[in-house]
Amino acid sequence: MAAPPMNRMVVAVLAMGGFFVALYLFSHNLGLGGPIVCGVGDCATVQSSRYATLGPVPVSAIGVLGYVVLLALSFMGLQPKHRESRMIGGLLLVGSLGGGLFSAYLTYLEAFVIQAWCQYCVASAIIIALIFVASIPEVARLRGGS
Amino acid sequence: MTKFYVILGVVAIVGIGAVGYSVTSSALGAAAMEPVEVEGLDDLTLLAEIAQGVTKGDEDAPITIIEFGDYACPGCGGFALSVKPQVELLLVETGKAKFVFYDFPITTIHPTSFLAARTARCAQDQGKFWEYHDALFRNQASWRLEASPIANFLGFGEDVGLDADEFESCVKSDRHADLVTANMRLGYELRVNSTPTIMVGRPGEFLQVPSATFQGIQEAMDRIGSPENAGGAN
Repeated sequence: MAAPPMNRMVVAVLAMGGFFVALYLFSHNLGLGGPIVCGVGDCATVQSSRYATLGPVPVSAIGVLGYVVLLALSFMGLQPKHRESRMIGGLLLVGSLGGGLFSAYLTYLEAFVIQAWCQYCVASAIIIALIFVASIPEVARLRGGS
Repeated sequence: MTKFYVILGVVAIVGIGAVGYSVTSSALGAAAMEPVEVEGLDDLTLLAEIAQGVTKGDEDAPITIIEFGDYACPGCGGFALSVKPQVELLLVETGKAKFVFYDFPITTIHPTSFLAARTARCAQDQGKFWEYHDALFRNQASWRLEASPIANFLGFGEDVGLDADEFESCVKSDRHADLVTANMRLGYELRVNSTPTIMVGRPGEFLQVPSATFQGIQEAMDRIGSPENAGGAN
């Protein structure tokens, strides 16, 4: 039996962390978290800007959903019968790349449009970037195939 | 794999703890310290409806004296303790004018002044705005440099006879954050850029008093009251 892929373990741990960062922001969007706690930056400005939602959907909700999907995929990909799964590898790569690009766009908005930083958003951007890096070994799995 | 599950579990527990703490501490009450997003403030008609000063004196008094003030501003403290009593005694109580206070916390240099303004509105909920307003200014030196002066504010509330539980629940929430934000925005629209800013006049016709002194206010009243100035300066 193939050993559990280390990169998927890393993705799972990172996705779990990212999930709670996004959940924290989402709880504030729902009015459950009170005023956002900011040590540095200006989360209130970012979170109250028109870029904090996509239509009626808060960006943080998209983050929560995205991390749940990545967590589920990586967890499934660690199970013995899916350890060599190319489909899970492909989905992890595409998902983390999509999340990374979306996050890069949000970071661009913070830097140049809103001109305020939310450290939780920055933390999420770093996490998704790391998830993408951790997903790169899936390329080899896709090429090798099984 | 065991190590993996342990790490994953630790991350999950820390995450649940952090988010749970955030939500429950909010339920216990986290105080809004900063301006909030309020819809409609770009529309000046709506802004004029949302922004509300607190009036002292006869609503029908011919002249209105407006202060845009910041509770953490020493100049406002000086005005509240030395000029406002004269204004009240000689102009408000005699029916010549009414006094209206608008919140204008300058949060960039006074990080706790927005909270202070909110707490004054919480006192207003219990009908003790002016008593609490005066207490904030009277005790300004004791709290204005505190990072978290909530305990001081609760103490002032007790001193002026507010219901402690009701006041604390209001202070540790975001109640009135929209109103204070709207008042700040009104100030910006009126080109207020320092505190205390005093304006004297009647609807649609106000003069900004160059120096926040009793004499300055009286001079402005004389000018606004004279026939040649009727319908004049804005």
